[in-house]
Amino acid sequence: MNYLTQRLATFPLILLGVSVLVFVSIRLIPGDAITAMLGTEAGLLTPDQRASLAAYFGIDQPIYLQYGRWLVGLFSGDLGISVTYGRPVLAVILERFPLTLELALLSMVIALCVGIPAGVLAATRNEGPADLGIRVLAMLGQSTPSFVVGLVIIFVLSVVFGAVPPMGIFTPIYVNPLVNLSQLIFPAITLGFAFAASVTRISRSAMLDVLSDDYVRTARSKGASARSVIWRHAFPNALIPVVTLSGIEFGYLLGGAVIVEQIFALPGIGRLVLDAISQRDYALVEGCVLFIALNFLIVNLLVDLAYAALDPRIRLGGR
Amino acid sequence: MRILGAIARHPSGRIGAAIIAVYLLAAVLGAFGITPHDPLQQFRIDRLHAPSTTYWMGTDLLGRDATSRLMRGIGQSFVIAFASVAIATAAGTVIGLLAAWWGNLWDGILMRVMDVLLAFPAILLALLIIAIVGPGTFTSVAAIGIVYTPIFARVVRGPALSLKQRDFVDAARTFGSSQTFILTRHLLLNLVAPLTVQVTLALAWALLTEAGLSFLGLGTQPPSPSLGLMLSESRNLMERAPWLMLFPALVIMLGILGFNLTGDALRDILDPRTQGRAA
Amino acid sequence: MGRHFTHGLISGIALAALLGSATIATPAGAATLRMAWAQDATGLDPQKQTAFSSLRLLELIYEPLVRLDATLQVVPAIADSWEFAADGLTLTFKLNPKAKFSSGVPVTSEDVKASFARILDEATAAATRANFLSISGMDTPDPTTIVFHLSQPDAPILVAMATINAAIVPAAEITAGTIGTKAIGSGPFKLDQWNPNASEALSPNADWAGGKTGVDGITISVLPDETAILASLRAGQTDFALLNDPLVATLVPDEPNLQLNRVPGLAYNVLQLNPSRKPMDNLQVRQAISCAVNRQEIIDTALVGEGKVTGPLTMPAYASDPNTLFCYTQDVEKAKQLMKDAGFADGFSATVIAATGEPPVASSEAQVLQSQLAAIGIKLDIKMMELNVYVDAWLKGDFDMAVAQNGGRPDPYPMYNRYFTKDGNLLKVSNYVDDTLDGLMQEGRKETDPAKRKEIFAKFEAHLAEMSPWVWLSTSYSYTAQLKTVHGFEPSPTGTLYSLSKVTLDN
Repeated sequence: MNYLTQRLATFPLILLGVSVLVFVSIRLIPGDAITAMLGTEAGLLTPDQRASLAAYFGIDQPIYLQYGRWLVGLFSGDLGISVTYGRPVLAVILERFPLTLELALLSMVIALCVGIPAGVLAATRNEGPADLGIRVLAMLGQSTPSFVVGLVIIFVLSVVFGAVPPMGIFTPIYVNPLVNLSQLIFPAITLGFAFAASVTRISRSAMLDVLSDDYVRTARSKGASARSVIWRHAFPNALIPVVTLSGIEFGYLLGGAVIVEQIFALPGIGRLVLDAISQRDYALVEGCVLFIALNFLIVNLLVDLAYAALDPRIRLGGR
Repeated sequence: MRILGAIARHPSGRIGAAIIAVYLLAAVLGAFGITPHDPLQQFRIDRLHAPSTTYWMGTDLLGRDATSRLMRGIGQSFVIAFASVAIATAAGTVIGLLAAWWGNLWDGILMRVMDVLLAFPAILLALLIIAIVGPGTFTSVAAIGIVYTPIFARVVRGPALSLKQRDFVDAARTFGSSQTFILTRHLLLNLVAPLTVQVTLALAWALLTEAGLSFLGLGTQPPSPSLGLMLSESRNLMERAPWLMLFPALVIMLGILGFNLTGDALRDILDPRTQGRAA
Repeated sequence: MGRHFTHGLISGIALAALLGSATIATPAGAATLRMAWAQDATGLDPQKQTAFSSLRLLELIYEPLVRLDATLQVVPAIADSWEFAADGLTLTFKLNPKAKFSSGVPVTSEDVKASFARILDEATAAATRANFLSISGMDTPDPTTIVFHLSQPDAPILVAMATINAAIVPAAEITAGTIGTKAIGSGPFKLDQWNPNASEALSPNADWAGGKTGVDGITISVLPDETAILASLRAGQTDFALLNDPLVATLVPDEPNLQLNRVPGLAYNVLQLNPSRKPMDNLQVRQAISCAVNRQEIIDTALVGEGKVTGPLTMPAYASDPNTLFCYTQDVEKAKQLMKDAGFADGFSATVIAATGEPPVASSEAQVLQSQLAAIGIKLDIKMMELNVYVDAWLKGDFDMAVAQNGGRPDPYPMYNRYFTKDGNLLKVSNYVDDTLDGLMQEGRKETDPAKRKEIFAKFEAHLAEMSPWVWLSTSYSYTAQLKTVHGFEPSPTGTLYSLSKVTLDN
């Protein structure tokens, strides 16, 4: 518990750092909400017109005042209003988040279902042809840029199968699970492709470590069947690194898969923040990055806790 | 040298090292202009030419030879990958070591700063840096380097902490060795194994990140090619000229495969726990 | 390996079956037009939005007094008829008495007056305000008559009014301050739902003076990747789409179920030189650049043949034959001689800026220009920038050269007065004006006789091409793609999708 409170205590500090970083950097990029809205026509504005727009977008004050105002709002749970959406930032984020969460979960399920059996198989056939084959596939999977996988999937679907997932308008799972799944399955495969590859590699090497441990040898010599040795005795112990890796990858995926969301036209967090940057919707960028960072911190904490639960030998926070 | 020998004896390490050697050769040839054609020359009559004996991997939209561009691109991508990982390794190692060595308040401050960078979504961080400074090779290097620094700081800090308490460092300290000497000699030597593995992994990430940034239009600047830029230029030509996507994608995949295989081999060789076990 | 592959294939087929059933499970509504575009609208205030997609969306919801048809003629919209007084100082409109906002309230002259008052109010920050500065007063003798008093003769003002940026909005909504949040217009459709950067849903405006629309509604999806748009069209899941990238658009005609609508647009691709910087301040250097460029070759390679060589004027009614303009046939020898005369026989280095993906061909264009100019010793460095960063640099005139795609107007005066008159708002961008240009522009603004105007602007165009502050390259096409089950769409050079109001769908 002490460890938990200690870790939680660092959260506000880290988030504060993130918020300052994003607040300053987004404003350092040339161009503002006015040029984002008007493009080159912004040059036709008179100084008075420009001032009135700056006031409308809340970018007429010095940056430290803007930050102060934003911070005060934050403490009362107000992340500001998005100028693009005309609604509170938090509401916009929460509307987009279920998609990202679902996509991340689905990718993880795919990755684990493919990666763990493949990794275990490779480990038990160490240096055999199956092992080599799986390892090469896994490494190829890890090294293919996701936009290549995505573009190829879309091309094959539309040309070979004559059907693509309904794109653009996202159907939540509670409205129509089937449409929802058809929209998310291919992006999830695209993301799961590289994810599964990492899981395969890590489960293989973890299994190899465990299989050479004494107690597995003992179990073997006691006459336990090969299957039972692998799944009953060795596997649970090999899980720890798999959990760690999946947790961290999952944490990254919660930040939105910018490129995959772009290709499959999914309105998730990744595209939300990308659009917000190009539209110079400062409040929304700040809110999104903060939200993503918080998710990342929480998931990492959970991973560490799970780690401790799986392996009692680990004393958390111990040095 | 001993390590190179060990890699050469390692079954998959051999393959990895061979791939990297071929790539380095291609990159060097590309850098010195020893390519089938000038990678920037536009043979406009022959644009979007399919692979042939003249253009081994075909030509792109502007009629430039894809083979020559790939050779130049490998160099460009490798420079970005190696330089950014070098920055991340150097900065991360220094920060991690200092945090472990100074401890207490400094440890807290340095590692929280690293946490901030780590919690910041990686591609966005790179994107913001590039948007502020303006794209270019140097910016890409710096941006990718900064993004991966906290990972190295973390990798280094953990082992450094436990090493710090080990006897030989204490012994060195009582014998009056200077702090820098202790730091560099003992700690760094013991960190080589985890760092090497991390470096090979990071090289692969760096290649992918550069490709991703190019896809978003913020990577290498035309006309000089990088693997990522060639890939992203080919996105809307996939149906007309599939070779333009196929070859750069294969080259990236094989390159990363090379890094990964070498990295795995190095881990086997350097990690005492796995010694004596073929991987 | 083998086993892996078969498994993959089987699950692929199973998934396709799943997709098929999923599509059946959600009938899109028999007569709803499913539309897609890559860039979403950025806002709903018709008087303030200038982004291409915003204009296209708002043209379906709002109406100006007059609009341009597909041949760029001014035709009635809210106004039935109009008349300039003999002295050119008053312009009177008669409104269509049937015109109603989607709230059911009739459009009156008071709404028109309030709308233009709003545009002219600096606090509104309407970019088009500059086009209406000659309006000195407005009278509303009756609910269907509006009289504009002008401080000077201003023939182009009528065309300037024919844009959605001069849309008529309800006076009551102006007072309530809800323009831009509630989209209440008098156009064929009304906006039911807008989920920015994701989707919009439109339904017919029952009170539209134009009658009944051909479809029961329009849903618009934002698919940021144009390859995905093409895939969706191919699969028959999108009826109608806007395309930007010629690389994607030119694939459409290969598909048996698809039709590509292609119109030459008014926008032009241009290499802007910055005459305020050395050595582009030297006329001979600028002319050398113009002579060294092979415009047709840029079109053939970077634009995959999609475009036409153009001079400064892109509207068919005014454009001259490009071959009559200065150095429109590539002449490298002449270019080298000009460079030598200017004292730059060895060439020079310069940076050219371009926006990433805006237009999609910008990077290719820059690279072909780079290679063509290398022939006369000019070494170009290409700097690709994020659109907004580019706009910022462009507006400040902070560039040596810029690859740009600038919007065109149906009339030369509003198209170029911002750049090439002495009080142009964008003089900082063009950095070039001379007495001839300014004089011809003022003459053209006052002249109301079409034949005389044409003569004036032909002189303007020839002089501009010869002075070469910019190197005009090509017009490009604006594309829409549709399933062959969609009928009645009439593309327009302005890019408007207004004729979607008349479109019908099979079955």
